[in-house]
Amino acid sequence: MEPIRFILNETDVTYDGDATARLLDVLRDTYHCKSVKCGCKEGECGACAVLLDGALVNACCVAMGAVDGRRVMTVEGYRETERFQVLSDAFAELTAVQCGFCIPGMVLAAESVLSHNPHPTEQEIRVGLSGNICRCTGYNAIVNAVKKASEEANGLW
Amino acid sequence: MVNGYAPTSLQEALTIRAAHAVIPYAGGTDLMVQGRKGVFLFLNKIDELRRVTVDDDYIRIGAGVTFTEAIAHPDVPALMKEAVSGIAAPAIRNAGTFGGNLGNASDKADSVLIEYVSDALIRLQSITGERLVPTDQFILSRGVNALHDDELIVEVLLPRAAFDAQYSYLKVGGRNALAISHIAFAGLYDSEGGRVSRLSAAVIADAGTVLRFRDLEQQLVGLSVDDARQQKEIFLSAFGERIVLGRGRVSGEYRKAVSLNLLRDFLDRFLG
Repeated sequence: MEPIRFILNETDVTYDGDATARLLDVLRDTYHCKSVKCGCKEGECGACAVLLDGALVNACCVAMGAVDGRRVMTVEGYRETERFQVLSDAFAELTAVQCGFCIPGMVLAAESVLSHNPHPTEQEIRVGLSGNICRCTGYNAIVNAVKKASEEANGLW
Repeated sequence: MVNGYAPTSLQEALTIRAAHAVIPYAGGTDLMVQGRKGVFLFLNKIDELRRVTVDDDYIRIGAGVTFTEAIAHPDVPALMKEAVSGIAAPAIRNAGTFGGNLGNASDKADSVLIEYVSDALIRLQSITGERLVPTDQFILSRGVNALHDDELIVEVLLPRAAFDAQYSYLKVGGRNALAISHIAFAGLYDSEGGRVSRLSAAVIADAGTVLRFRDLEQQLVGLSVDDARQQKEIFLSAFGERIVLGRGRVSGEYRKAVSLNLLRDFLDRFLG
């Protein structure tokens, strides 16, 4: 039986488990990508958001069979990029992180916004982050951090 | 793969569908939440399901087209774009598909409302042939559709003429990024030579299926706009009598009142 092959954070991997398993669980338990948080398991909180072929998806709503032949990016891979550094600095400078549980999903949602639109308006950022719930910050600091990152990116996006 | 098939062509998928008890998997956004167990037939590698094409009569949206792709596509009608833009948040729109909305047979599916109001056809295919089924005959009740065990949903055919009409659309949900519709309304209207030439109205109200009453619509179509205006209260009253709502996320009284308000706004806008 052919295993599932995909690219996880720029590395080829082979998964020979159940094709109906949740990507969320496999990322955490098999590949130890603990940045991917389990919040609601219903696609409503965004804590498990990852990039699948560059598009933001909730890993709780993706079965392993659907990632065969595709690229998955989590913060474990994204943090190696210059773009991450710009976002990380902006989040730190504007105190956009409190408990931190939502932040991996927020950061990848921000990457998704900026990769489609390098100079988003505040409203466009809010729409882009609308599927990511934060119970600490009230969102404004996060939105401001993404705006700041877009202004300081120097052509990175 | 274990407990899954990932065909790369429609023919291959239909052959698997006919030979095995499989659960079609499109975007996964409902299926994974439902936690259904079984063998999945993954449809995401099938290019034939991922196209939007246009012919003389129809805009054809492949069952595997995601809502994000539809919003970006120049041939998808504005009314459909408006409706699917209101689905949840970007991560769900990036994964959710037109075929999935139909396969799930939810009575709150935003794309299906537009398929109801525009008289869209659903193309179903098996290895032995294909069927074109009107939307309201495809969705039978909440969670139940007319798909046979050997069939797959292939595409949605949106009649071009319906989208030349003027429209009203409004959705009432909880918060924007969850926004499972409590109530949503779509109406199409056109007139020709002072007479109503098209009037259709469909409502999501947690009623088991989308509500649309063609016989009531037909009582207004063909009338002069003045005469149709005189019939407005009768139409609203008859529509209201047919809205029979059971338990739902919000009270039946609220859903009925809001549905009728949206319908009244629509009629006021176009009939005066």
